[in-house]
Amino acid sequence: MLTLKELLITYNHKYNSIMSTYLSNISETLISGKGDELKKLIESAVNDGANPGEILNQGLLPGMDAVGQKWKDGDMFMPEVLRSAKAMSNSMDYLRPMLKEGDMGNAGTMVIGTVAGDLHDIGKDLAAMMFEGAGYKVINLGIDQPGESFVNAVKEHQPNILGMSALLTTTMPRMGEVINSLKEAGIRDQVTVIIGGAPVTEEYAGEIGADLYAPNAGSAVEITNEFLQQAQ
Amino acid sequence: MKISQTINQSTRFRVLSEDQIEQIYFAALEVLERTGAMFYHEEAIELFRNSHAVVRENHVRVPACMVEEALNFYPRKITLKGRNGKRSLHIQKDTVTFGTGSDLPFTYDRETGERRRTTYKDVNNAAKLVDALSHYDFFMSHGIVSDAPNPQTYDRHQFMAMLEQCTKPMVLTSVDGEGLEDLWKMGCLIQGGEEEFRLNPLFVAYIEPISPLKNDRTAVEKLLFAADKKLPAMYTPCPSSGATAPATIAGMLVQSLAETLMAVVLCHLKKPGTPLIMGGVTTLLDMKMSTYSYGAPELSLASAANTDISKWLNLLMFSTGGCTDSKILDEQAASEQMMNLFYSYLSGANLVHDVGYIDHGTNASLESLVLNQEMMGMVKQFGKGINTDDEHLALDLIEEVGPGGEYVTTDHTFDHWKEWYLPKLQDRSDYETWQKGGSKTMLDRVNERTQELLDTHTPEPLDEKLEKELREVVAAADKRHS
Ligand code: B12
Repeated sequence: MLTLKELLITYNHKYNSIMSTYLSNISETLISGKGDELKKLIESAVNDGANPGEILNQGLLPGMDAVGQKWKDGDMFMPEVLRSAKAMSNSMDYLRPMLKEGDMGNAGTMVIGTVAGDLHDIGKDLAAMMFEGAGYKVINLGIDQPGESFVNAVKEHQPNILGMSALLTTTMPRMGEVINSLKEAGIRDQVTVIIGGAPVTEEYAGEIGADLYAPNAGSAVEITNEFLQQAQ
Repeated sequence: MKISQTINQSTRFRVLSEDQIEQIYFAALEVLERTGAMFYHEEAIELFRNSHAVVRENHVRVPACMVEEALNFYPRKITLKGRNGKRSLHIQKDTVTFGTGSDLPFTYDRETGERRRTTYKDVNNAAKLVDALSHYDFFMSHGIVSDAPNPQTYDRHQFMAMLEQCTKPMVLTSVDGEGLEDLWKMGCLIQGGEEEFRLNPLFVAYIEPISPLKNDRTAVEKLLFAADKKLPAMYTPCPSSGATAPATIAGMLVQSLAETLMAVVLCHLKKPGTPLIMGGVTTLLDMKMSTYSYGAPELSLASAANTDISKWLNLLMFSTGGCTDSKILDEQAASEQMMNLFYSYLSGANLVHDVGYIDHGTNASLESLVLNQEMMGMVKQFGKGINTDDEHLALDLIEEVGPGGEYVTTDHTFDHWKEWYLPKLQDRSDYETWQKGGSKTMLDRVNERTQELLDTHTPEPLDEKLEKELREVVAAADKRHS
């Protein structure tokens, strides 16, 4: 006969090993980009009593970190990375209502769009997907967005990140104008502003008072998360 | 006498068979009936609505019969005249012409070796080089005039920067319909009025749809303006395979042809007989770096195939070559530029643009323009093919020289060696001569030649009165937008 204490210990062991199997399976399934499988896996983990915060922080995010690393190392390519990012973002939609304050780390909300007069969207969309893949809730405003639409979106969605894209020398100044409008509306300090696009440079970001610049979608999340960590 | 002889006057090259072209064409027609395209322009929607097209809000689908009807109305020949008065640019089947690309935001600074923003002066310098270099048939701005007083009117200033130093025909980008109208007005001033411009256009208007299958307001407004004025224009999709088009070349060609055919129908509805040119920068999104590639071999392959399609459709073709993803002018640049120059030429595309682009369409380089001059010369030489008439078969000569003889001193050699390509910058010397000459690399020579041309070439200046009139158009635009 086992004592109650012994029983609990065995149970805990069992529970822990089941959970750690779940978490590593979640990471691996995410890395391989199998969205449907991942969904089932997360659902049954939750049903078996797994903590949603743990699923995120010890299953999904390490998986996405690995994806990021593999991409950098040239072991994974865009279509594979984006498939994982999509699986991540779908998982987040499912988990988000169950997460507690503090579970989310930096991954908050992002508003992103291409500025007025500019119709280029591929780069902006790739950046959006990478942020979704990192657990952010992303509100993608689309192309050719006037200043007020950025300001209104910041007021409405209270994002911690605002991303702007401009691919034309002629539309780059619109980004600075949006930043000024945010100041006028008294909400500049609420968001970290990150900008990108082919003619944009780090220097230019500094000139117009953006917080961050990323030369490509791959580095954008890392640059942002590092900045947020330091700000804390 | 011989019968049934086929003599190739030039080198032959083709990617697609006729059956494959038909497969792609029928698939594109299917896209227009099944998937359709979006148009964000009221007049365009109205034109489609009053035709046999099926319109739901901004979504337009077009029956194949409309496309086939419209296709009968496009010119197979457009001839441009530069401000030098020469009708030098013959856009017609099997005639290849080369030119630069436009609007590069950055410039590789020759003095500092650093990348910086492109200015009016840089466009001026590019204009001068293109004017001087014989293998460039037309000029696009190469860089963008980013120091223009107002972004809304930069296109007029850019045109001035181009005109000041280049007398050749041009291809022009524009901000919107209003911008294009100003450029056209300036063109009419140069050619001596609207009627003369119609017969002797100075430039082709560059216009693009948004892949996949979207047509924005400014693009359509330019297209309709061109149709109205019989201004030559190209509607040139820029799909990136795997991102804004299928990841298969065939799928990308189908989609981009569908985009072209939509414009073909629209222009026909506006006014039959628009001098519309087919186009396409058909390439891929690099899946490692997520960049739009200007150096991928798939760019060359897809572009050559697209030209095959254009010929079959009796449309003129605006294609791409002489460009690279490399950040600077180096071995990668030379190999990529050479590859896409070569195949664009062999394919028979009528206007090959983007010659000299580096850094996947974001960086301008004057040296790159000069390097490409040499490469275009080589490519054109290859395209000449092999003459096999009696004089060239040289039977009598072979007999005359006989076994063990020499050809260097014969009249035949004296007459014919001049048909060879004479390199200007390439070095074919022996090691010692090269060393004594300073052990110069190709880039050293390109650099020197660039400086020499900038220092010595003086294009025919603009007529003073004309220049004043042109500047008035620009000033009026600046005033409207101030
Ligand atoms: C494809 C393309 C188009 C397509 C766009 C289709 C679409 N759905 O987006 C079409 C054909 C519509 C187009 C139109 C025009 N284009 Co365009 N286009 C390009 C091209 C060839 C590739 C852009 C691209 O898709 N790159 C691939 C993506 C993945 O890269 P990316 O956009 O740079 O984004 C990456 C980074 O920059 C960054 N990033 C981007 N945004 C953001 C945002 C944030 C927040 C972050 C963190 C990161 C980030 O991450 C991305 C992924 O790594 C570029 C040349 C080039 N190499 O950039 C010219 C280019 C941008 N276009 C140019 C021009 C001139 C035009 C036109 C004005 C031409 C004309 N006169 O008609 C029009 C303008 C239309 C308009 N009003 O916007 C010029 C700009 C020149 C300048 N100095 O301003 C370029 C540089 C080409 C050239 N040299 O002429 N274009």
